[in-house]
Amino acid sequence: MAGMKDTALTLVILIALVVALVVGAEIAEIRLFGRIATNLCISLVLVLGLQVFMGNSGILSFAHIGFMGVGAYTSAVLTIPAQMKGMALPDLYPVLAAIQLSPYIAILIGGLTAAVVAALVSYPLMRLSDAAAVITSFALLVVLHTVMLHWSEITNGPRTLFGIPKATDLYLAAGIAILAIIGAMLFRESRTGLLLRATRDDETAAGAIGADVSRLRWKAFIISALFAGIGGALWGHFITSFSPKAFYLKETFVILGMLVIGGAPTVSGAVIGVFLVTFSFEVLRAFEASLNAAKIFTGQVVGVTEIVLALAMIAILILRPGGLFATMEIGVLFGRRRQKASEGEKQ
Amino acid sequence: MDFAGLRALDQVSLTLATGEIVGLIGPNGSGKTTLVNVLTGQVKPISGRVTIQDVDLTGLTPRAIALKGIARSFQIVRLFNNLTVRENVETAALTHGVRRRAAKAKADDLLAQYGLTARAHDLAGELNYGAKRRVEIARALAADPRFLLLDEPAAGMNEEESEALMRLLATLPAERDLGLLIIDHDMALIMRLCHRLHVLASGRTIAEGDVESVRNEPAVIEAYLGAPADAASHA
Repeated sequence: MAGMKDTALTLVILIALVVALVVGAEIAEIRLFGRIATNLCISLVLVLGLQVFMGNSGILSFAHIGFMGVGAYTSAVLTIPAQMKGMALPDLYPVLAAIQLSPYIAILIGGLTAAVVAALVSYPLMRLSDAAAVITSFALLVVLHTVMLHWSEITNGPRTLFGIPKATDLYLAAGIAILAIIGAMLFRESRTGLLLRATRDDETAAGAIGADVSRLRWKAFIISALFAGIGGALWGHFITSFSPKAFYLKETFVILGMLVIGGAPTVSGAVIGVFLVTFSFEVLRAFEASLNAAKIFTGQVVGVTEIVLALAMIAILILRPGGLFATMEIGVLFGRRRQKASEGEKQ
Repeated sequence: MDFAGLRALDQVSLTLATGEIVGLIGPNGSGKTTLVNVLTGQVKPISGRVTIQDVDLTGLTPRAIALKGIARSFQIVRLFNNLTVRENVETAALTHGVRRRAAKAKADDLLAQYGLTARAHDLAGELNYGAKRRVEIARALAADPRFLLLDEPAAGMNEEESEALMRLLATLPAERDLGLLIIDHDMALIMRLCHRLHVLASGRTIAEGDVESVRNEPAVIEAYLGAPADAASHA
């Protein structure tokens, strides 16, 4: 914000976190930890995508996970081996049956497809603000979900789609996560990003200086869907089988929780939110498992993670309504501290 | 211009030329801010026209009007509070097609003129009210407007600040070849600064012309001080 130096410092800190995660996973040599780290990197791509739109426009969007689904299904259809397609997608259009692309190209196409779908459907929605915008984004999620449930030619309907080649490992996920961090930061500091943040702070004043509010939001929404589509495809090639319910309310709640807790207005907030929520989820899951193993309660203990995430969101919204990093990127905070310290020495 | 059956502006005709400063005055509720809102498209008039050099702007969006060269400030300051002071000023240059680097340079120039250089990297929301007012004016100027409408620019400023602002505003029209319309309640300030005055009361024009003639207009004295006859009948 305050300049190139702070932006660079922020990038260095955030990327160092991802690198530390990868190194940590390699040293630990525990397969479970590798899985957690890969999932974390995929969440980074998704949450950073949400941040691009939500953080800079100030408009809550529920539709994001729907675009994750678009990316995942697109990439799946383009990569499932031809001989498996008869089983995995019995109703597939013959034109698509012969296609079998490299997963790396398909992931990119998945992202682009999500972006194109977003560009086509979202322009009218970008004219809305406040509650109307939130409700229509929710409606968009329902529409996308319904299409996934019923377009059996492409998605195998509500049934699980399997046979997707495994292509995502920790390195690929971490690499794309780092690109997502850089991309989100560049967008925030770009001309469009700056003007969009202006509309977020005061829509009336932004109109009065000549900002095209709908168009700015629309651009961010498309980029946001690109991230979501890539994240979805990446996830598809990691998990290798999924059904439409993987892209609905529960997942929406998790990525929103990560972003809101970390602080939607900043890229740092998105990254820190993903790390915090992922690690606390794992700790809680272990806690839940040990409770069940010890048979302290007569029944099974379930849902502790969701309840704690919900409570954490409520607590954050009460105590720090903007999230942990509400206005300033982590690099700016460090920069200011340095500046203050040196001023102190002078006196 | 009707507000739910109440006519807020009626048969008001106001002209502003580049190079001049016009003061828009009148008692509270006389329609001054509504007039500015009509001129900048925030409020659509039921009848009547807004034109710049014979180009009709009536009914255009605030954005379209801004791009035609009309800039404004708001009665209650509206800044982008989570952007830095410099970014606030930059935005208006960017929306008018100025490149990124040039917009930064332009913002820095304006910040220097308005005594804000030291605060350039602070968040706009952290400033005091007087400084916020100056940022808002600097932001409006970053668009290189032909007409600038300032709604109570000196409100909330101390005497020293408002004195400094007056000096800056006085030279603006000649320097930048723009027309300046100022709403303010501080009569001493308005009388000193403006070339012409336009007086509204209850949504109608009650006087217009040069400062001296308006000052002595009986209708203006009545609007501001109350009619002597009324005062007598109440007593």
